[in-house]
Amino acid sequence: MTGTAEYGPLVRELHERAAKLNLPINGIFELTFVCNLRCGMCYARQFGGKRSPVEGRELSSTQWLELARQAKDSGLLFLLLTGGEVFLRNDFFDIYEPLTRMGFMITVFTNGCLITAPIAKRLAQAPPSRVEISLYGATAATYEKITGVAGSFAACCAGIENLIVNRVPLVLKTTLSRFNVAELEDMRQMAHAWGLKFYGSWLLARRPDLQGSEVENFRLSAEQCVELESTDQASANELSEAAINGMPWESDYNFYCKAGRAAFTVNPSGDMNVCILLPKPGARPLEIGFHEAWMEVVKYVSSAPAPSSACLACGERVFCGRCPAWSLMENGTLTEPVPYWCDIARARTKRYGRPSDPNPVP
Amino acid sequence: MKRKDDLMLQKVGGQALLIPLGAKVLDMNGMVVLNTTASFIWELLAEDCSIEELVRAVADRFEVDADLAGADVRTFVDDLYRQGWIEI
Repeated sequence: MTGTAEYGPLVRELHERAAKLNLPINGIFELTFVCNLRCGMCYARQFGGKRSPVEGRELSSTQWLELARQAKDSGLLFLLLTGGEVFLRNDFFDIYEPLTRMGFMITVFTNGCLITAPIAKRLAQAPPSRVEISLYGATAATYEKITGVAGSFAACCAGIENLIVNRVPLVLKTTLSRFNVAELEDMRQMAHAWGLKFYGSWLLARRPDLQGSEVENFRLSAEQCVELESTDQASANELSEAAINGMPWESDYNFYCKAGRAAFTVNPSGDMNVCILLPKPGARPLEIGFHEAWMEVVKYVSSAPAPSSACLACGERVFCGRCPAWSLMENGTLTEPVPYWCDIARARTKRYGRPSDPNPVP
Repeated sequence: MKRKDDLMLQKVGGQALLIPLGAKVLDMNGMVVLNTTASFIWELLAEDCSIEELVRAVADRFEVDADLAGADVRTFVDDLYRQGWIEI
């Protein structure tokens, strides 16, 4: 009468079911714009180091909780709290603690640098399903070259240890760039020594606000990315696995993920959008109601134009992860090819062979 | 017996799930899927109920005989008790 279904497959099945019914099962609350680190490759970076909420620009704790109550009534189950850096909010626990009593499966993204022993202890009283901390290097020199903040490596390690001591579920991840890829193995060893799961991602997106980005300076080459995903388990994320096994393409459907069908994001100002990387349509749930705002997101996605004819005709499309968000960030459209993804698709084809090719290059 | 208040029943797209609340997250590490009968019993356990009351309610609701309902109820209640999710 009860099932102890394996967590991953159950989560996937729930998302499939929700997407068919247009239920917003998965939500992201971006609690703050600001961060205490200034990573050059970050899509969300607004360095300030100052405390949040930023007066007049970010929702109050009361507003976030009202949003959560309405979202729950509409079907929200998986809730990610992220930023910026969420622990810069003075009122983080005023938001977090009531959320833990509402029946969500909560994940918290943080850089870990502000997690003192008292904060870890308080989190442990009602822990999220998972905290994910980004590790940007295995040495202070590399880590701080990326974050731009002296002392941040030691602070991050202390934060990790505070969470471990307090038994808060924790996963480490890294954002791989040309500045830290040489320390991938050492970062994996650090995670292993702490007894933590570890994964890496090499996919660096530009800023969705189309402001200047240093991301090109950080990105690995397409060949390096494909080498990593094919040889290093921790670097093969769901997207690259899907690419290797063949994307579940629908012939002309532009949004192939669950965004706008089962997932949404709300930015610090309270705008509801398709995803963090695609800040459209900017619906206002606190003004028109959560359900109406969600319907605007669903409508935006369901009425999106098909991918460009160049993409539809591309023989390497099965190996490409381009989506409308990437097109918007890279060329200001929802539909046109993204050269970085074209390079990755070509590198994958070279490595794995065409899907029909019986003799892929080993 | 009555259910404890550190689990919450959520229904998503017709699927009933038990979600841990507060410190219970550490013990459960995930969600529990309930079938229709289990979900019905869980809702009854919001109030103090005896096994006999649960059996009668299940037999009525699902139009099955008391023996079959009794077997299902006892299996589920045993499971809940073993997991520490109800208090007797």
